[in-house]
Amino acid sequence: MGSQVNRRNFLRFSAMAATAPIFDLKLPRGLDFTLQNSPTPEKYLIETMPGGVALFDYNNDGLLDIFLVNGGHLTRPMQLPEKFDRANPRYWNRLYRQNKDGSFTDVTEAAGLATAGAGNYGMGVAVGDYDNDGFADLFVTSYGKNVLYHNNGDGTFTDVTEKAGVAGGGWSVSAGFFDYDNDGHLDLFVTRYMEWDTKHSKTCGGAWRTYCPPVEFPATTNLLYRNRGDGTFEDVSQKSGIAAKKGRALGVAFADCDDDGFMDIFVANDGMQQYLFHNNGNRTFTECALESGAALSTDGKPLSGMGTVFQDYDNDGKPDILVTVLPREIYALYHNDGAGLFSARSLEAGLGALTAGSSGWGVGLEDFDNDGWKDLLVAQSHVLNNVEAIDHSLHYMEPPLLALNRNGRFEHADSGITIPVAGRGLAFGDLNNDGWMDAVLTVLGGHPLVLMNRGGKRHWLAIKLRGTRSNRDGMGARVRVNRQTRFATTAGSYLSANDKRLHFGLDDSNTATVEVLWPSGTRQTLKDVRANQFLEIREVEQS
Amino acid sequence: MRHSVLFFCLALQSISPEGARHMQAGVEAHKQGRVEAAIAEFRKATETDPEFAEAFLDLGEELMQFHDYGAAVAPLKRALELQPDLDAAHLQLGYALLSLGYASEAIPHLERVHALEALGIAQIETGQYQEAVANLGAALVKRPNDPDLLYYLGRASGLLSKRAIDTLVSSHPDSARAHQAMGENYFVLRQMPQAEQEYREAIRQRPEIPGLQLELGLVYAGAAQWDKAEGAFRTEAKRQPGSAEAAYHLGTALLQQGKTHEARAELERAEKLQPDMPETLYSLGKAASLDGDLLLAEKSWTRVIALEKETSLAAQAHFGLASLYRRQGKISEAQREMQEFKRLQSAIEPPRSEPK
Repeated sequence: MGSQVNRRNFLRFSAMAATAPIFDLKLPRGLDFTLQNSPTPEKYLIETMPGGVALFDYNNDGLLDIFLVNGGHLTRPMQLPEKFDRANPRYWNRLYRQNKDGSFTDVTEAAGLATAGAGNYGMGVAVGDYDNDGFADLFVTSYGKNVLYHNNGDGTFTDVTEKAGVAGGGWSVSAGFFDYDNDGHLDLFVTRYMEWDTKHSKTCGGAWRTYCPPVEFPATTNLLYRNRGDGTFEDVSQKSGIAAKKGRALGVAFADCDDDGFMDIFVANDGMQQYLFHNNGNRTFTECALESGAALSTDGKPLSGMGTVFQDYDNDGKPDILVTVLPREIYALYHNDGAGLFSARSLEAGLGALTAGSSGWGVGLEDFDNDGWKDLLVAQSHVLNNVEAIDHSLHYMEPPLLALNRNGRFEHADSGITIPVAGRGLAFGDLNNDGWMDAVLTVLGGHPLVLMNRGGKRHWLAIKLRGTRSNRDGMGARVRVNRQTRFATTAGSYLSANDKRLHFGLDDSNTATVEVLWPSGTRQTLKDVRANQFLEIREVEQS
Repeated sequence: MRHSVLFFCLALQSISPEGARHMQAGVEAHKQGRVEAAIAEFRKATETDPEFAEAFLDLGEELMQFHDYGAAVAPLKRALELQPDLDAAHLQLGYALLSLGYASEAIPHLERVHALEALGIAQIETGQYQEAVANLGAALVKRPNDPDLLYYLGRASGLLSKRAIDTLVSSHPDSARAHQAMGENYFVLRQMPQAEQEYREAIRQRPEIPGLQLELGLVYAGAAQWDKAEGAFRTEAKRQPGSAEAAYHLGTALLQQGKTHEARAELERAEKLQPDMPETLYSLGKAASLDGDLLLAEKSWTRVIALEKETSLAAQAHFGLASLYRRQGKISEAQREMQEFKRLQSAIEPPRSEPK
């Protein structure tokens, strides 16, 4: 783990960056988190999978705060019952409140988030205002039980898992809030990786002793919870059709891919076909990835799907799908051809040359240079921490990939981060409210990387949705600003949750036309909207 | 069979009645599969008539059948002392010595009776790889597709190749060919930086050697450095304009970088140079599809299926056709191809049963 970033050496790493990078690598004062994954010779699979990060404004002070999910303590061998030592502060999840000067204060204890739950090895986080009270709530996934924290609005959270009925079980990974039935209440989708536990763990690779590939363990089902609107959720995994398909899910993202007014679900599966759950509009789903063309590689091969994003990369107004995978598979880009059909476009979009040798986890399509095209940022690192010994052409640690979007084709760009790290989670948001998208990347065994956008002269617009008939944050709304389209969501990436505000680069335009299609079906158009502002759009309360 | 002939011979030789009785009892025991009893009877025959070569041969053969190769050597050697032209004894002694690891000692006996397979194996053990390849090759003509023969022939050829390379590297360590050989070794071991270094040195010394740039390109391709791979393949294709392989690899490197139009042109050239290569046709279909020439894509993939039928490449071609027809709105054709894809996939890679 020689290339971890810490206070002593991060300046050296920063200096290694080439000229004119997009980001500055920062280690803000007060952000002292270390992701404890506790690697062991037993090669427990969970130890190479965490951890998530969320960028959200928990106290509504206008500044993004950071929540980081920790792994836990693993022993060799694990003793039952598994505890993971989560009561030890070293293994706590952490909430950092952003101060006005850009520094952070650890408010974990004060916020009531210190107890991660015995027997839970932390994985990811989802953010959503499930009770429409105006304060963002947290859902933390684990190997073990998941936890729903209700935001009390006074700087504290309350564990409401039992009441809500969303503890789940097994090995949960990425999760996300979305309103699948357009009833104005955010529902919850939780991916689960496989049927695995520490007692039935094993190693692979013979003398190399490596983590086993997913196919060595049985597939499992994902979870869908419908929000009843009274603070409780109903497990509708079976009756919605979601549980009909077993998989090895790691990532999830939502968008309405066929423009029928209902949010569809894309699930990134590891070592098998991907799943696209089409929303039938009657609270059921039909898995249709193979028939839609979004299941396999260009050559019809299974993919090691890990992270995913479901946004429009080529500004044709339709959400496309990007999936991060292992080396020699090429990050999969499925172009939305309309009518619910997709075509593999990785090679045409330039991802063949950019990603064939890399392993991707957290991922986002965000307009980092505000030119009106969504760019690509990926947290990278191989799964196997000894991969170099097995295959000399591969690397365990990799720098993040930044590729700028030039009219639908991605080109390698200088992120400013040249250090190789074991990247996992990745979340996006405008941390310093300067109109330029920043990112936070989690690192196994290390401090998070805070990538602060250096900014520039191009114009931008950031939109905060305020639903009235729809869910309060307008999750699922389709927002078009000039030629760019975004689906409002905090989900996507890997294990992580993004800023709910929708960011648009306007290039040299001083004004914008904004069109919002709310989940309720309400359409709103705002013309001549001034650039370079944070705009709140309230859903019109028409009958 | 040999024993029935033996009794005819016995009548002509001076053998004691007791010895003949033991021999007959041994033969009977052998026929009944009572190996230990046969050994005992043949041994008594050798004790009764210590100058009777056939008795020693039968004792040796029976011990060989009992897998007691160590014990078989002495009677077989004695048989040959008494009757040096006894081919059956040479054969059995050759087998026994080879089984015991005395390959050098086995070789003269095996040579005498032209036991090519065993001789080839013995020659592998003694480092006579060239001779081993010749003898095993000749044996394979008589028993084509014999798995043991194929294994030993492959092993002998590999060792012969390795020796030649070892000699090259030790006698001309700084030669271009030595660097090329080292490059090949590193490539197999997936040590791409070292492989690249060796090929670069070989090219520096003798840039005219055909295939060097192609091999360097494969190193880059193995490390997913497609721009560098393109450069190396392009140099090779320029040097060998008649090489379908160079054109194919250049086409795939271009395809990986999304240069679909150029890729298509190179792959079409490869197809013209060496028609009906399934890999070329598959990649050509892919390049044509991405380049918007759906007719050429359809033609190429259909040809792959005609050539390959039930292989994974055929499955990929079905998958490509399904995507292509879907784009064209030909839903029933797309469904048909997808069904074929699924059928082949499950035939080639049956889904793993999930543990309970």
